Parts: sequence; structure tokens; C-alpha cells
Amino acid sequence: MERLDRKLGTASSLPLLAILLVAFIAPMLVVAVFSAMPRKVFSVFNSPDFSAYAALLEQGYYRSLLWSLGMALASTVILFVVCWPLAFGMAKVFKRFTIVLTIAVVVSLFVSENIRLFGWVLTLMKGGLIEGHVRAWTGEGFESPLYSVPIIVFSLVYVYFPFMLFPLAQGIAMVPDDARQAAADLGASRWRILFEIDLPLAAPGIVVGSLLSFVLAAGALAESKILGGQTVIVIADEIETAFTYGQDWPLGSALSMVLITIIAALAIYGIAKVDLDAIMGRKGR
Amino acid sequence: MKLNRRQFTLTMAGAAGLAGLGPLSKAFAARDNEMNILCWEGYNSDEVLGPFRNANSGSSVRAESGTSDPDMINKLRAGEVNVWDLINLNQPWARDQLYPENLIKPLDKDRFMPYFEKMMTGFSDPYPLAFADDGNLIGMPQRFGPFSFVVNTDKISREMAEDEGWNLFLDAGMKDRYGVLTYDNWNVIHMCLTAGLNPFEEVTGADAEKFKATAEQIFAGSKLLSDDLVAMNTALINGEIDAYFTGGTYTASPARFDGATNIRGITPKSGPVDGKGGVVWIELTSAVNNPDPSKLAEDFLEYVQAPEICKAVAFAEGTYNPVSQMGNPDVMARFDEDELDAIQWDSLEEEMSRSLDYQVVASYSSLIEIYNAAKRG
Repeated sequence: MERLDRKLGTASSLPLLAILLVAFIAPMLVVAVFSAMPRKVFSVFNSPDFSAYAALLEQGYYRSLLWSLGMALASTVILFVVCWPLAFGMAKVFKRFTIVLTIAVVVSLFVSENIRLFGWVLTLMKGGLIEGHVRAWTGEGFESPLYSVPIIVFSLVYVYFPFMLFPLAQGIAMVPDDARQAAADLGASRWRILFEIDLPLAAPGIVVGSLLSFVLAAGALAESKILGGQTVIVIADEIETAFTYGQDWPLGSALSMVLITIIAALAIYGIAKVDLDAIMGRKGR
Repeated sequence: MKLNRRQFTLTMAGAAGLAGLGPLSKAFAARDNEMNILCWEGYNSDEVLGPFRNANSGSSVRAESGTSDPDMINKLRAGEVNVWDLINLNQPWARDQLYPENLIKPLDKDRFMPYFEKMMTGFSDPYPLAFADDGNLIGMPQRFGPFSFVVNTDKISREMAEDEGWNLFLDAGMKDRYGVLTYDNWNVIHMCLTAGLNPFEEVTGADAEKFKATAEQIFAGSKLLSDDLVAMNTALINGEIDAYFTGGTYTASPARFDGATNIRGITPKSGPVDGKGGVVWIELTSAVNNPDPSKLAEDFLEYVQAPEICKAVAFAEGTYNPVSQMGNPDVMARFDEDELDAIQWDSLEEEMSRSLDYQVVASYSSLIEIYNAAKRG
């Protein structure tokens, strides 16, 4: 019976495996093969020469990559600091009010990201909601904060807020109150409880939240385009340009492969470090 | 969860049924009953498509708008030639890339040549770039427009902008007072002209260095970059910038039609190529080389030559543009004063005479690399 069960289980997972293979692995393979092709060809049936990777090193694309990763890191750190107290409140303090907060944050996801970002442009631009009112009331205007690196980081924080908040709240919810109380009874300071109880026990949530927001921010494009005025060119922008105006599919593929490799390495490293089953609620086996 | 054989068989049967539906539904669709257009925005609007759909009820007419020429070309390259029947692009792409690669096919000359006669001067001869080197007619021109740069005439007068031409953007006083509309392929053309080079001839050696210096200076002096014309017009109207590099009636017309007539496309009075410094784009609508072609494709191309449809194409949605059929008084009569002002009709002929035809950029692949490196900063 056990063997039959296992067989049927394997057999019923086949369609899903097939879908994964066709929809996920196959496109990745095509991108990988394309990245090895000579520059500016439109078919994978050429002899590979990896020239796109050479171009990538020679033409300073590392700068865009560094900007993307740097801004993703900055936004992830800021998100963690901003979300921690709120997530703590949602998991341990707010009780019924948590649902209100959850709905409020989730509702923002119902509106397309681009529209929300344009909303910020209208708010922050010269003559916009803020500067326009200040100028009308005081007669004195000021330069808008748009089109700069800090505003891009701000918009990354804004857009990926829910992706840090919810995993973090989930992670904090896993910290047993008994452990915190015991530590307090034994004379641990608040900081010590934070560093030795809360942070280690909430680690799965922290890792998932950080990975989600970092990975999404590293591949983000709209923030730097809409609010940032392309003041720095991010890697996703370079990939888009290579595929479109550059008409250089191998270069675009090579850039994608580099980004995919970095992110996959980070994700595998992060996930290997924590017990994901714990946060998914599958405790016993 | 425990599975038994019966549940398993049911699941598999369901999956097989779903998988079977896809290819089956495709087999029942006949190509004479459908037509798909890949186009710049406008041809996909209800004003343009509605009457055609009514006249061909029972057929499915679908149009999808692209956001750039290369985006649309990528679709055909990726194998969508058997999806689309018509493609609407700026002409050098059709001539240089699509036709040589057999992605589009020639049109029936007997059917379409007569339409050139009623077009505006410049198009009626007929328009030479609608033809491939082998003499075949590869597309019909309709929308067009001068495309150089745009200023806020409250800050920079039209006359001064036209006299200064591209040098305006090299002026130290303009630092942080302009944006760059990042239509990359256009930026390359305009940066060549700014550097005093002919973009349609090979740019190498010292000329390439000159291009590089110009590209770097323009990016360094710009306040913002965006590929969104609305963002550029907004920045221009609210005083964030006073001009933007790359633009024309196509980008200025929505702001002008909204009443901001101080936003104006500028064509330089002089320039490095035969004394000309402006450029004009002209769209061609071509028949895709679909292995299973729809006969509605050429019907549609003929349909958009009718006066009321020409007007609908010119003023569809998003942007407003002159059409080559405005040489026909029946078409002209359909435009009112505000509409003509939005598309800068008063100076159109003059601007066209100062503009070069948008052609293939000879050194595009090396220049776009220099351009991208400069943009990265």
C-alpha cells in the first residue's frame, strides 16, 4: 500500500513537473544558451563564443549591477528597521487591530505599482501637491527631491514594504512568549532579549522577508525610471535596453544570467540557513 | 493525503482534457475570419477599428499597441509572424530589418499606388522610402511628424530655439534645465546631429570620439531622463525643465491639445547634413509575411485611407499627428483650428523642409554602445 501510494504520488506530480519544466526551466535554459551566442544574433543555432560576457566586463555594466544591488541592500536594511517594530506590534501587541493594518497594507497592492509611483511624482514634483501648496501659502518654493538616488531607495522601500512586513510578522509570531518572559525573569535587558531571543527565533521570517525584498528590489525598474528620472541606470534597465533598442539578445541574456546567478546564490544560501518548514507551519512530519 | 487509483485516474483525465482544449480551439479558427494588427497606439482605438469591425462582422479584428519599434520587431523575430497580419512601424525598420529578413512582404501595387496621388507634397511623388531597394512597395505611409526637440516657449523663444538648434543643449547655461526623452534610437540620431555629424553615414574614429563627448555632455547636463513623454511634458509645464532633448509634434501635441500651447516641437533652422538639422519620422504599415495570411489585411490598409478614418488615425488617443492624406481637401476639412494648432500645422511644411528623412543609422551598433555607456555615467 505504501509503495502504491508513493508511486501514485510521483505520477500525479508529473503534470506539475512538466509545467515547471516548460514554463520555468525551459525559458531559463534558452536565456542561458542565448547568453553564450555571438553578439546580435537572433537564433540559438550559432557556435557559442561568450562574447556577450566579454562586452559585459569591458563596457562598465558592472556599475549598473552595483547600483541595483547597492540600492536593493539599502532598501532591505531600511525596510527591516522600519518594519520590525510594526511587525512586532502585529504579531504580539495589536491583537484585533492587526487585521486592520493587514488590510490597509494589502489594499495598496490592489493598485498597480506604476500608478502608485506616478502618485508620488504628482505629490513630490515641482508645482505638485507639496511644493505647489507650500509655494502658494508662503510664496517660497523649493527644489523637488525627485530624480535622485535617495528617492529611488525611498520608492523601493515604499513598494516592497508588504514583502518585508508580513514574513517578519510571521517570523516574530513564532517566538514563544515564554522564552521572552523567562529571559526577562532571569534579568536579561531589553536589548539582550532582542538580540538573543527575538532575532534568532524570528530568523526564518527575517530571512524570507529580506530575501523577498532584496530580490525584488534588485530586479526593479519602474522606481528608477518613474521617480528616479534614470539618474542611475539599473541592471533591469540595461537588460531591457539590450533586448529592445540594442537589438542584442545575447547581451541581454548575459546580463540576465549574471543577475539570476547572483540572486540564486543569495537565495539558496539564505534558505539553507533557516528552517523554512517552521514558518510554513509544517512542524511535524 | 492518500490517493487511490480512482482519484488518480480522474485527475489525469481532467488534465488531459485541459491539455487537449488548447490546440483544438486553434484548429477551428479560420484565418479569413480574423486579422491581427501590431501597431503604435492609435490604430488599436475604437474610433479606427469600430467601423471596420462592423463592416466585417463575424470576423475577429484584434490590434495590439507596442511601446517601441524594436519591441514590436522582437515579437516577429520570436516567431509571431504567424500571429500578426499587419505591422505599423517607423519606416527605416521596415526597410532595413523586416523586409530583408522576410518578416514582411510586398503590397499589391495595383491596389495601393493610386492612393499616393492624393497625399501631401513629399508623399505624392510617391514617397520613395515606402519602397524597398528592389522596387517593391513595402508599406503605406500615414502618420508622420518632425522630431527633434521640444521647448517651453515661455522660457526659450521659438525663434531662439530654432536659431540655436542642437547647440542649445551644449550651452553651459542650460545645465540641469533640460531632460532627455530616452527613445534611445532617436537620441543616437540627435546626438550625432548635435555633434555635427551625419547619423546616416558611418561614424568612426575621431567622429566617434566627438559623438562620445557629445553624448557624455548631454547626459551630464540633463536633469532627468525618462522614456515617458507625459513625464517630460509634465516636467516642462511645471517648470522642472525648460526643454527636452528628442521630441516633436508627436510628444508635444497631447500637451498642446490640452491647452499648453507654450509647449512646442522645434526643428532647427540649420544643421550638419545638407544644411538640415531636423529629422522627420514616417510610419509605414506593412503586411506581415504570415504563412497563413488573412485577406482582411490589405482590406484594412485600404480602409484607413478613407477621409473619416484618416482623421480618426490622426487624432486617435495619446498623441496627435499629421497624416500624409491631409493633402486631400476631404481629409483637411475634418480638422478644426485647435486640432491643427495641436499638431503645429502652421509650421509643418517649413519644419518638414528643414528635416532629414529618418533613415537607418549606419553605425548604430557601435554608437548605441557608446550611448549606453554615456547614459550609465
